[in-house]
Amino acid sequence: MGCCKVIILESIDELKPINHNAMQKMLNYRKLFSLIFAVPLLIGLTLVVSSFQAGAQEIELLLKGGRLIDPKNKIDAKMDLAIAAGKVVRVAADIPASQAKKVVDVSGLIVSPGLINMHTHVYAGSNVGFTDGTSSQLPDAFAPRAGITTVIDAGTTGWRTFPDFKSKIIDKSVTRVLAFLSIAAGGYSVDKAQENIEEMNVQKTVETVKNNPDILVGVRIGRYDGKEWTPFERASEAAKILNKPLFVECHLPEYSLEDQLKHMRAGDIITHAFENVSERMTVVDEQGKVRPFVLAAQKRGVLFDVGHGGGGFWFNQAVPAFKQGLWPNSFGTDEHRTSMNSGMKTMLNVMSKYLNMGMSIPDIIDRGSWKAAQSIKREDLGNLSVGSVADIAVLSIVKGKFGFVDSGNNKIDGDRKFEAELTVRGGRIIWDLNGLSANSYMK
Amino acid sequence: MFTACLMSLSAVQAQEIDMLLKGGHVIDPKNKIDSKMDVAIKDGKIFRVAADIPASSAKKTVNVSGLYVSPGFIDLHVHVFAGTEDPGFTGFGITNGLGSVVPDDFTFRSGVTTVVDAGSSGWRDFHTFKKNIIDNSQTRVLAFISIAGHGMLGTVHAQDTTDMNPVATAFVMNEYPETIVGIKAHHYRGHDFTPVDRAIAAGKITNKPIIVDFGSSTPKLSIKDLFLKHFRPGDIFTHTYSGSDMSEKNPGGRESVVDENNKVKPFVFEAQKQGRIFDVGHGGGAFVWSTAINSIKQGFLPNTISTDLYRNSRNAGMKDMANVMSKFLNMGMSVQDVILRSTWNPANVIKHPELGHLSVGAEADLTVFNIREGKFGYMDARGSVLNGTKKLEAELTLRAGKVAWDLNGLTGPQWDAVK
Repeated sequence: MGCCKVIILESIDELKPINHNAMQKMLNYRKLFSLIFAVPLLIGLTLVVSSFQAGAQEIELLLKGGRLIDPKNKIDAKMDLAIAAGKVVRVAADIPASQAKKVVDVSGLIVSPGLINMHTHVYAGSNVGFTDGTSSQLPDAFAPRAGITTVIDAGTTGWRTFPDFKSKIIDKSVTRVLAFLSIAAGGYSVDKAQENIEEMNVQKTVETVKNNPDILVGVRIGRYDGKEWTPFERASEAAKILNKPLFVECHLPEYSLEDQLKHMRAGDIITHAFENVSERMTVVDEQGKVRPFVLAAQKRGVLFDVGHGGGGFWFNQAVPAFKQGLWPNSFGTDEHRTSMNSGMKTMLNVMSKYLNMGMSIPDIIDRGSWKAAQSIKREDLGNLSVGSVADIAVLSIVKGKFGFVDSGNNKIDGDRKFEAELTVRGGRIIWDLNGLSANSYMK
Repeated sequence: MFTACLMSLSAVQAQEIDMLLKGGHVIDPKNKIDSKMDVAIKDGKIFRVAADIPASSAKKTVNVSGLYVSPGFIDLHVHVFAGTEDPGFTGFGITNGLGSVVPDDFTFRSGVTTVVDAGSSGWRDFHTFKKNIIDNSQTRVLAFISIAGHGMLGTVHAQDTTDMNPVATAFVMNEYPETIVGIKAHHYRGHDFTPVDRAIAAGKITNKPIIVDFGSSTPKLSIKDLFLKHFRPGDIFTHTYSGSDMSEKNPGGRESVVDENNKVKPFVFEAQKQGRIFDVGHGGGAFVWSTAINSIKQGFLPNTISTDLYRNSRNAGMKDMANVMSKFLNMGMSVQDVILRSTWNPANVIKHPELGHLSVGAEADLTVFNIREGKFGYMDARGSVLNGTKKLEAELTLRAGKVAWDLNGLTGPQWDAVK
């Protein structure tokens, strides 16, 4: 079975401890070690660091010559990036190739923290709908090829269904899968049962999140047809107890946009920001002005996610909003079966829309990585600090004549578009569009 | 009377074209079309292909000048029995497992409208495959059924010759004669031809071809015997360019179509001439540059171009159908030859002559594509690169006349031109 997993799962065990007992032993030894040898170790460390810099071949992968954009560390410059043991070990202007086992020339390309997709539905299975269903997508099918190393599932599961999601999908994906937990017990099913308020259990929601602190990043409210605010308030309460964001998704037809925003705290996230559908008021009014209460909510610290989806992104909203300062904080795609082949396509395509609307490359990278990581309070992600996990996207900007389509099948023309050249997850290359890391077959 | 009839026909036509693809370069190998033509679609079918169809006769006109228009691509070898079952057996977990992928995730964006699953299900689980995937996909999903009763649940099942029943297999095939196009034999490590011969037995009952993933035994089994003593005309050898001069030196595994000097073995040409079908089946490990390049230089071309799309190939050197087709363009194959091997040829191989062409009345499965110029690298299954200057990109994919993919918004208006 172990062998089976290596083959099926594209060797994901390389990303995780293989043997828990061995891992535990290692940890125990480490504890003992640190107790007895703490002081000599510190001295030794200095020696290790200096020998490292002296040029022993300890770098496993060196990305050389790229334009490194790391918003957290305020870097936007030509820098080399060195990776060892799955982590970023050095970022500097000129790291000698001789120090690395493998060097990849990324000159002319952008080196970014691995992208974080704030809004996806990845509880894929064989049932009808999103929950363990055919409307969700498998993360590894779309993430690596779009430079994405982390996806956040937007509450496709609740406290009852999360364990199945975790064992079937989260634990078996090369892509890092994080999730908002729905306040509804069953998550995002298509039947009305999830509207059973009795099942919207704050305590069980809080417990489930607390028991999975590495995976669950907040609480989601979405799809409720009733008028009473209890579901929203319960979701909000659970989020408050956890000190994590509330993620407000669509299909809340009886709650007005203004009331939704009023119920949100600073740091809470509203998705489908630029939708233009009958069930929710638009952020831009009939005169093309962003509504004042929307701008006020933004000022107060409410975060706006794109949540493109099949119906959630309209240029007649996004373009005026962008011009008037309502910028998205993250580029969630609302990845699912019907959005993937529509105007949405990929997260890079959504980012390219903003590139052609006039957002700068560093601002786009910021929202695709560091701002997204901050909003889910995962500041270990979305940056290239030394010591952080080596989740990296190497992107190119292709020039040409392109069109970008919104949810109403209306388009903007553009002349630039992002492509993912190389995606690195935990130090390992999981996507290589043009064989940058490969050898010429002639050699 | 006849003239009047014609005239009224054309008058009716004036309102009746649903979509007109105007100004593209049509490549339709079956009908020997390779020129600038307009394509009219009505009721999900090809309505007319002609040099100049007036835009006024169509409800919607899409300008595809500068682009190629071809029949929707047919990918002859994929694994799309996706599910989350973990049977716990050693092997690939293709059957209702994470080893497979979901077809619509990969097809339309690479110009594919029909995929043929290569034995992910056997007669015991084909019904589940049909219910979960085939009936739920926008992509047309056809299938080779495995001669192993459990399909590709685990490699262990591929060894169990007691569960390779031609009669039961043929029985299920006859229940779904349109969907099941043939039988797969695969991954067998025994030093004999049992699975191949059983698959052929089912193929004789149903009059359908077999497709073989051959050569898992040590010592090697002879591919010459496979092609000339076991195969019938029309039977398919997949993973054609997987072997190499290097693998020739290994005692086991799949015998290569090239010898130690990278020369194509004479019996390979003979087998192809006698109607044996050679399929690419790129996969995660089954496409080696030296073998492919030397084969093509020596005139040994694949009958069909296919991906062997599954978990381990999708993010590796294979990527998708458009990428595999691009490899052949960069090896020097003409775009017409590449399209032939991705449309009309596979349609014939699976005996679905209603597919893979743009004849009037055919279902409007169409691909509009461009050949992008630039500097590209193409990786094989061993991580080696061939540099190239061309890349095939799907601009617009229609499935039964409906837009299933529109890369650059060819079919949509400018956002601020809309009220």
